[in-house]
Amino acid sequence: MADSFTVPAAATQDERVFPAPLVAGTNDFASVTETVCSIVEAPRAPKAWYVIFGIAVALLGVLGAMIVYLVSTGVGVWGNNQPVAWGWPIVNFVFWVGIGHAGTLISAVLFLFRQGWRTGINRFSEAMTIFAVICAGMFPAIHVGRIWVIWWVFPIPNQMSMWPNFRSPLLWDVFAVSTYFSVSLLFWYMGLVPDLATIRDRAKTKARRFWYGLFSLGWTGSNRQWHRYERAYLILAALATPLVLSVHSVVSFDFATSQLPGWHTTIFPPYFVAGAIFSGFAMVLTLAIPARKMFGLEDLITMRHIENMCKIIMATGMMVGYAYAMEFFMAWYSGNTYEGFAFVNRAFGPYWWAYWIMVSCNVISPQIFWSKKARTNLTLVFIMSIFVNIGMWFERFVITVTSLNRDFLPSSWHYFSPTWVDVLTLLGSFGLFFTLFMLFCRWLPQVAISEVKNVMPQAHPHHHPSEGKEG
Amino acid sequence: MEERKLHSVMAEFTDVNSLMAAAERVRDAGFRKWDCHTPFPVHGLDDAMGVKMTRLPWIVLAMGLTGCGLGLLLQWWTNAYDYPYIISGKPVWAIPANIPITFEVTVLFSAFTAFFAMWIMNDLPRWFSPLSRKKNFARATDDRFFVVIEAADPQFDGVRTAEFLNGLGAASVEEVEMPDEPTRLPARYRHLLFTLAMAMLVPLAMIYNAQHKTSTEPRVHLVKDMDKQARFRPQGETLAGLFADGRMSRPRIEGTVGRGMLREDEGLETGMEGGEYVTAVPSALQVDEDFVRRGQERFGIYCAPCHGFTGKGDGLVHQRALQLAAEGNAQWVQPTDLSSALVVDQADGRLYETIRMGRNTMPAYASAIPVEDRWAIVLYVRALQRAAAQ
Amino acid sequence: MNSLNEAVQDVQAGDLAPRVARIGLVVGVVGLLVGAGFGLTGDAHAKQHFWFAWLVAFAYVLTIGMGTLFFSMIQHLVNAHWSVTVRRLAEITMANLPAICLLGLPLLVPLLDGHGTLWKWAGGGHHGEEAAHGAEVPGGESGAAAEAVEPAAQADPLGVQLAEEEHHEFVEHKRPFLNSGFFIARLIGYFLIWALMARFFFRGSVAQDSASDAAPTLRMKKWSAPAIIVFALTLSFAAFDLLMSLDETWFSTIFGVYIFAGSFVACFAWLVVCAKFLQSRGVMKNAVTREHYHDLGKFMFAFVFFWGYIAFSQFMLIWYANIPEETHWYANRITPAWINWSWLLLIGHFLIPFPGLLSRHVKRRTGVLLFWAIYMLVMHWVDLYWIVMPNLDPQHVNFGVVDVALTLGMVGILVFLTARRASGQALLPVNDPLLPQSLGFKNA
Repeated sequence: MADSFTVPAAATQDERVFPAPLVAGTNDFASVTETVCSIVEAPRAPKAWYVIFGIAVALLGVLGAMIVYLVSTGVGVWGNNQPVAWGWPIVNFVFWVGIGHAGTLISAVLFLFRQGWRTGINRFSEAMTIFAVICAGMFPAIHVGRIWVIWWVFPIPNQMSMWPNFRSPLLWDVFAVSTYFSVSLLFWYMGLVPDLATIRDRAKTKARRFWYGLFSLGWTGSNRQWHRYERAYLILAALATPLVLSVHSVVSFDFATSQLPGWHTTIFPPYFVAGAIFSGFAMVLTLAIPARKMFGLEDLITMRHIENMCKIIMATGMMVGYAYAMEFFMAWYSGNTYEGFAFVNRAFGPYWWAYWIMVSCNVISPQIFWSKKARTNLTLVFIMSIFVNIGMWFERFVITVTSLNRDFLPSSWHYFSPTWVDVLTLLGSFGLFFTLFMLFCRWLPQVAISEVKNVMPQAHPHHHPSEGKEG
Repeated sequence: MEERKLHSVMAEFTDVNSLMAAAERVRDAGFRKWDCHTPFPVHGLDDAMGVKMTRLPWIVLAMGLTGCGLGLLLQWWTNAYDYPYIISGKPVWAIPANIPITFEVTVLFSAFTAFFAMWIMNDLPRWFSPLSRKKNFARATDDRFFVVIEAADPQFDGVRTAEFLNGLGAASVEEVEMPDEPTRLPARYRHLLFTLAMAMLVPLAMIYNAQHKTSTEPRVHLVKDMDKQARFRPQGETLAGLFADGRMSRPRIEGTVGRGMLREDEGLETGMEGGEYVTAVPSALQVDEDFVRRGQERFGIYCAPCHGFTGKGDGLVHQRALQLAAEGNAQWVQPTDLSSALVVDQADGRLYETIRMGRNTMPAYASAIPVEDRWAIVLYVRALQRAAAQ
Repeated sequence: MNSLNEAVQDVQAGDLAPRVARIGLVVGVVGLLVGAGFGLTGDAHAKQHFWFAWLVAFAYVLTIGMGTLFFSMIQHLVNAHWSVTVRRLAEITMANLPAICLLGLPLLVPLLDGHGTLWKWAGGGHHGEEAAHGAEVPGGESGAAAEAVEPAAQADPLGVQLAEEEHHEFVEHKRPFLNSGFFIARLIGYFLIWALMARFFFRGSVAQDSASDAAPTLRMKKWSAPAIIVFALTLSFAAFDLLMSLDETWFSTIFGVYIFAGSFVACFAWLVVCAKFLQSRGVMKNAVTREHYHDLGKFMFAFVFFWGYIAFSQFMLIWYANIPEETHWYANRITPAWINWSWLLLIGHFLIPFPGLLSRHVKRRTGVLLFWAIYMLVMHWVDLYWIVMPNLDPQHVNFGVVDVALTLGMVGILVFLTARRASGQALLPVNDPLLPQSLGFKNA
């Protein structure tokens, strides 16, 4: 007993409400396959690939040399001192592990939110996650000093009959990062299988047929298999979501469970997660903008994708800014002189320059993305994405070093400077990352072919099936 | 050419709509052993085919709960049961601190189960399918959609089924033959895999062997760590010419005395004079009530744990030792009753020496108790003896 | 899938709305009067309890309003399709924020009475004693004097309460912020801002109903981002002011997020209850489908988890570092009196609903989902009670008629306001550009 409405059609036709199509240009399924597979099948990679790969391998070599030097000589080759016992290695660890989070967010969280635009970038970013986590995991492993007994962090019976201390956040880290790495790897590989099958079915050489055939596990696109596959994908996405929240929260626990001013504050877990996603998306942009040009993927990674990523960067940047504001307010409100000092020290103490780089890169510079013009200017977006990552590296630096460098007892204060080994190790880690990433770009499908096809308009049947006799 | 056995009949469709319509018809016709092959999961195709919801989520749930329990058990068993120790004031079983790892292990188990169970339930990896022999089928992972009805289906009839599929709007219909060469892995690969699997057991066997044997050889020590240090050991060889007498441990320099070692008053320092125990507190000390009270305080700190506050030898250490002895875990002799005749008859100097140098199982307290305090304790012991005598 | 035309049938509440409004008003007024009757006629201790209970009830309806406000705004920001059919239900709730804020006006009485009855820092120098001796009675009635003198050790078995001089020092430090004048100014500020935002997003949505293009929606989308930023800051500071400052030496940077998490769970639960109620009376029968309930259930589940994560982070970090200036807040909640309530919160707000809402079958059976929605609304109240009440008396739980009456009263008023807003209003954003997609999606 209510008035019924006739629906004026005008609003639903207003184009401004609807975003651009997910796959640009005149593409059908076959052209999507061709676009992505041709990169893998090309006899030679684009010239730029060789240049970048060459530089990456060189940096990887530097990393190798630095690690050998470190392990053979000792942790003293780094700038770590007392009281700044956590220096660049831990900053780099948090930096890399944070970057990895975007991949899982895109794969898992955006999947749960039914965001079709994720399909253009999810393969790419999941690969980025795995490589970033490899780079991340390396740092705690090499920073322990006696790396040959690093296996003691696992609950493996040893000659001392001792077990690891599970009450320590450092050990939670071991479990969190290993779980994160293995689950991300499984998720990424699972997504790859149908696409590897596509490459296998197009393969012209025996070697290609063998290797892609081996890793595609005999996938034939059977719908009964797709059914279980989709269910498993959904379950993995639903598991990966709290996992990604937990991993960087556990990393934040490394700091927050302590009693140090500037470290011990309850907002660290969600703040670190937001910051991780912030830096991760920036890295995806840093990679995607050149890659789509180099490999001809502009129809699959469109301006809509770029813009959405910019918006997520803004949103997470705001969350990081919120956390800064809360910490700053509480530093005063709490009346805790140490906490108050820690914040004044960050802004005006010996590391003031790092603090202001952090604030300008993380809070001020992303504001440019309010403007649509800025979001659609690829050069600007690329530069901004690098700034964001610089800002996030400095954020971890500021958190780690300023709280250690000046804590409760002034007689213990001591300045920290990195050594050339610190710097080269960080640069080398980029070498590891880019080497793996370039290999991925060359030999594996960069875009999730089957998932992109799934969000094209041609993929949706016009009618809904009847339930049938068994339904 | 002889007629090959049929595996199935395969129909190719160009778009999702015709596929969906065809699938419904195949389902309604009552076929059971059939499938569709698509380059991506087509929404609604499960219903069109009559595919029931998989049991995978329940398996994942079960394994997830297992993981949760195992995570908690691991942390409890290692830190609270097998080798409990208190660290940073946390209880040995600190549940809030155990939550992160429990959560991670739950996710780990669930995710691995979802992944591996899915492949197993999908009967993958399977590296050969008769369908892959058909050239057209390569487009199943590209842009075409296939309906495949297997010959094993009871309703299958070679010619009629093909006609049926043709009538559904297929772009093409083909027969798929069974392969006549074997589809199992060739013998030499199987033997290789078997050999590898056996080879992997060898290191495990070696470890097992090593753990259950003893050896007189020193352990293999790959990383010398701090075994060889750039230093000179006290009784060891010396750098030639560094010291004339060739010793690394240097004797005391002439005319020097270690701090606290200038024992001018032998009686005061050692409780003995000329080989005899002194019989009274040395006159260098001022004996008054404060001195005895100091003795009482120091006695309570250093002596009472074993000898008890009354000196009867019933201190807390003794109580605990009795407990352990009752469990069969200790051999124990009760600390001396300081009011016993034996001790009452001893000279003050002898009591002092006992404190300073220890006696029997009692350790030396010279490093813990300075000289004056030792005499104060001696006096207090005398006071206890006097009290016990009353 | 229901067609657009089917869906827009029966989207008005007809005379259901005034009837519900009347019931709401009666329950509301009676509840508040009963609460006042029992509370304000007792001794000083009972009067103090009354004000704490008023704060709990007020915070309860305020957080529902804030949750629905955030819901409305975020849907615009992210261009969500699924939520269009239920968004108007959230809007008619949050549109009442100005009136809801007025329900907080009576709190001026304990604020300004000079004894620090509710917020101890507002008192004239008694605050130090009240912190150290939990059951202290301000205003000193002789009859209550006996229970006022509690040995300090008994009130502080874990040794975490601050000494009086330290306590005083901390409170004085905060004086520039925690003083009645600035406090009232801030609250007025928050209320005005929320009123503005509520009005903007409600009016915009209603304007879209009769617009000829998508301009109102686009305008709301444009302003949603800045609005959410302002929302986050105002909600956080309101939480600090109203709830965190009850314990005037405690602080937690995540507290704003914690209150937000609870509010958002309550929002989804509220939407399920509203939608189910309306559909059971024949309104919006074709508009809100099983798919929408599934999504509401998914979000309820997700935010129950999120709440648990935030609550755990706050607790575990404070537990781990074990610094007395932070732990006393939790110490007050694990006293023999309050420990059961804490267990109730952990088990009831997280450990039970987490597996309860896990299965997709639960989320697709709307009757079962309704049970969980009502359950979570109760648990949200348990959460707020647990946050507020131990500040009154860590050694006793005086749960009674006043608490129930005042809460029912406030909820009644909220129902009254919402139903009144629903009169003559389409309960579906009939002309929303994304409505067709909202009706057409299917969950995996």
